[in-house]
Amino acid sequence: MIRNTRTKRAVIASALITAGAMVLSTIPAQATETTGVTATSIKLGISSPKTGSAGLVYGKVPGAMKAYFDYINANGGVNGRKITLVSHDDKYLPRLAATQTTKLVLNDKVFAIVGALGTATHSNAYNAARLARNNVPSLFVNTGFSGFASKAKYPTAFMVLPSYAMEAKIMAKFIKDTPALAPQASFLIAQDDEFGIDGVGGFKSGGHTFAATPTLYPQGGLTSALAEGALTSLSAVPGKPILVLFGTTDTTATILKAAEKLALTNKFTFMAGSVGGDANTLLALGVKATTVDGVISASFFPDAKDATDEYVKQFMEINTKYNKGVSFDNTVLQGMNSAMLTVQALRAAGKNLTRTGLMRAIDTKGSTFASAGLAPLNYSATSRVGYNGYWIGQLNAKGELKPFGGKLTLYTTDSASAPVTASTFVRKSIPKNGIPNN
Amino acid sequence: MKNTFVKKGLVALISSALVTALAVTAPSAAQAATLTCTKAANKVETCTGTDDNGAKFEIRMPANFNGTLYVYSHGIRNNVNLPPIPVIAPAGSVIDYSPEVAPSLTVANALLKQGYALAGSGASAQGWSLEEGVDGAFQVLQIAQDKYPKVSRVVAWGNSLGGLTAQAFAEQYSGAIDAVLPMCIADSAQSQITMAGDFLWGLKTFFNPAIKGTGYSAGPAGYREMLGDLQQALGTLLALQAAIQADPLRPAWPATSTVPDTLKAIPVRAAILLLGLVSGISTQSKSYDASSGPAGNETTFGVVLSPALAVLENGAEAVALAILANYDMEVRAGGVVYDNSRTNFSARLGDDAQVYAAALSGSTATTGMVGYLQLLAPKVTANPAAVAKLNSMYQLQGKIEVPTFTLSAPSDHITPGGAVTYLNKQYAAAISAGTAKANMLLNVWNKPADSYSTFDASGAVTPAKTPNGVGHCNYTASQVLAVARLAAASAKSGKLPSMTTANAAIKNDANLFIDPNFEPPLLKFRQ
Repeated sequence: MIRNTRTKRAVIASALITAGAMVLSTIPAQATETTGVTATSIKLGISSPKTGSAGLVYGKVPGAMKAYFDYINANGGVNGRKITLVSHDDKYLPRLAATQTTKLVLNDKVFAIVGALGTATHSNAYNAARLARNNVPSLFVNTGFSGFASKAKYPTAFMVLPSYAMEAKIMAKFIKDTPALAPQASFLIAQDDEFGIDGVGGFKSGGHTFAATPTLYPQGGLTSALAEGALTSLSAVPGKPILVLFGTTDTTATILKAAEKLALTNKFTFMAGSVGGDANTLLALGVKATTVDGVISASFFPDAKDATDEYVKQFMEINTKYNKGVSFDNTVLQGMNSAMLTVQALRAAGKNLTRTGLMRAIDTKGSTFASAGLAPLNYSATSRVGYNGYWIGQLNAKGELKPFGGKLTLYTTDSASAPVTASTFVRKSIPKNGIPNN
Repeated sequence: MKNTFVKKGLVALISSALVTALAVTAPSAAQAATLTCTKAANKVETCTGTDDNGAKFEIRMPANFNGTLYVYSHGIRNNVNLPPIPVIAPAGSVIDYSPEVAPSLTVANALLKQGYALAGSGASAQGWSLEEGVDGAFQVLQIAQDKYPKVSRVVAWGNSLGGLTAQAFAEQYSGAIDAVLPMCIADSAQSQITMAGDFLWGLKTFFNPAIKGTGYSAGPAGYREMLGDLQQALGTLLALQAAIQADPLRPAWPATSTVPDTLKAIPVRAAILLLGLVSGISTQSKSYDASSGPAGNETTFGVVLSPALAVLENGAEAVALAILANYDMEVRAGGVVYDNSRTNFSARLGDDAQVYAAALSGSTATTGMVGYLQLLAPKVTANPAAVAKLNSMYQLQGKIEVPTFTLSAPSDHITPGGAVTYLNKQYAAAISAGTAKANMLLNVWNKPADSYSTFDASGAVTPAKTPNGVGHCNYTASQVLAVARLAAASAKSGKLPSMTTANAAIKNDANLFIDPNFEPPLLKFRQ
């Protein structure tokens, strides 16, 4: 097809150009181990919902983290460096989370991602922003999806929340060991995704058998009508059946409001997972205080209203000064706690801060970090699991979570087949003035 | 009675199209090259003619020529005539052999004004005409150099299939070219037809088994089958659209679907999204950004509805491409080239199962749909000889020896940014093998705004012009010119610009960015 003379001409020209090729390197610099770090600053980033329905629940996380970092900065920073937190709103949407996280890494040039929130959102963002390839740490991911503990799949990610599977196993143990609950028929209504599947698997691993096949619904798919239908059907079950709600808080609210409408609030013992049992949000979504009163839930933190807890007290003070006008609640507690863990990780990594060094520091020293959590942290060279335990409590009409039966018992376990055991773990005291000294 | 009229109407439509198709005379091979030149009032000399293979070409030479010639390769065009078909070809179309010298008139005029000469070939055949495109580009370059000895530097560029053509041209004839600019570059024929074919096969399998999809008959019968598929696919897409309009949260499956009732209990929007995800069709479209929703309902709309609606909107174009391109490739290769006999649909879905769990209506529904595709639906097995023939066309090697710039959008639903990722990987391998020069490839990316969907007071999405950063090869003239000028400068210097220079060239554009660490996923065929 090509005439030979022209081909020859091209080949000759090619040889000439090759001979005169430029050798200067103009390739763009690759991401470095110290991106986002200067002699005086460390830039961190967070993508999380600040608006939309999820923003109502979790919107306080970045502000709480920033408040704690500001407090640390006012007290000298970390090894002389001030922390800045770049925060982008992902509205809890996977596509937007991918966009925002990519922006944090490529445009904002952050050193690490902290406190990313949500399973669908962060798993999408983690891959889209190529956090593994770029060796960008993703610290203290706010989801209980056990998959994030996989070092093979998410080599730069560190969980902080206990997994949904752990929570379900502990709930199963609690039902079994509680005389008022054990004889009752129990039913599970769970979100039909990795959240609910982790939960269903956890109950199974915990040896718990529900009276019927779990009712699974896609996120956002449980309407008031469906909830009323389910409750009406279950109201025929004798006794006081246990209804385990393993979904987000808005779904818990839908079910509790359906119970109110059907006058069935006293018919069931409602047991909400930690994600769906946030009392402040339930009340804000219109659930009556009398309905919230008595709901069983789980936590690994002290109650955010318990000002006698030294961590809560300190964080409240920081919140008052550095997060003005924002009420202190479980979300603020969680955000500040993750920020405190981050500061300890940065300190543990030393003055010559690198991404690899930061991750190594958590692997080797993370289990010794001080934190508000009442359960132990499980970081090691082979584990990216954060907390691994829960205590079971009961909400009162004020929305406070109080230990069930008046005595706090912490249970610990893993996401697989290890037994659930009562733990004697005692957390570290808070560092003086809440400023890490590790 | 009504049905009879519909059938009669369809037969008439196809018959008239066939007459038109047969009346077209394709360029004959091995013609002697011709050249006719005229000078316009703007002092630009335009030369047109046909090359040795009968391809039409055009050269535009400004009076203030600066020594650099751009040789442009156009994107894929229909290789058949089409009768009027709503949405797909509202006015009908005939095969277009005309040459193009730039992606738009605005770009062409701007470059001419700055003293650049332009050339382009119409190619001697359409459809997946990679080889004809390379040959046409090479011939018009030679003709231009013969006519204008002052041509001292050459930039090869093109859009879509033309981007692939430009890159293939440069790799095969690097000595003839000083810089390359593939825009919205296509992946290989097999990779592209897998993406489009997967979606079409899914449309047939889930919603309308009357779609033939592959294995078209030889001759006029095959042409009629292809036209019939366009009609069937369009009807199916319209039925899906109507179902979603009637009940966005729980839209029903089309009446033509023959899947089990257990699948039909799943909102059909979930099935549409699943097809998009396993095919690799973007979940961002002209109207739906998957990042916003009506006021007060952002999260639910963005999580549950928007990705599926985007796939449906994008799917309309993907399906038309699948049918027309697949028909062309089958004719070229002499048999079925699409193959999904070994596709692992669960692996194809991967982490998207959890990312889009809510929009897919939960894990149980997802497992059911994937299981149906994997275990129950009849698969397509390609003709090995046809595939071999298809793959005998030039495959990119990454043998890059001159400054090369890509301009691509990760959310392009026809040629996703993953095609550039593949080129990058090939280039890295070629450097390792010693067959390419280092530091010769720079990727420029075009992304849409974080959110661009707009909604009216009732919460309905409001139609808008395709936002920059989504759609196929959807770049502004200023974006193209910014990168084209970088390419021209590199053609002169023989090296890539510094990052400072490159970033300065695009600094006024909010959607363009350069980052070596950005890497869109490969097309599904290559994963």
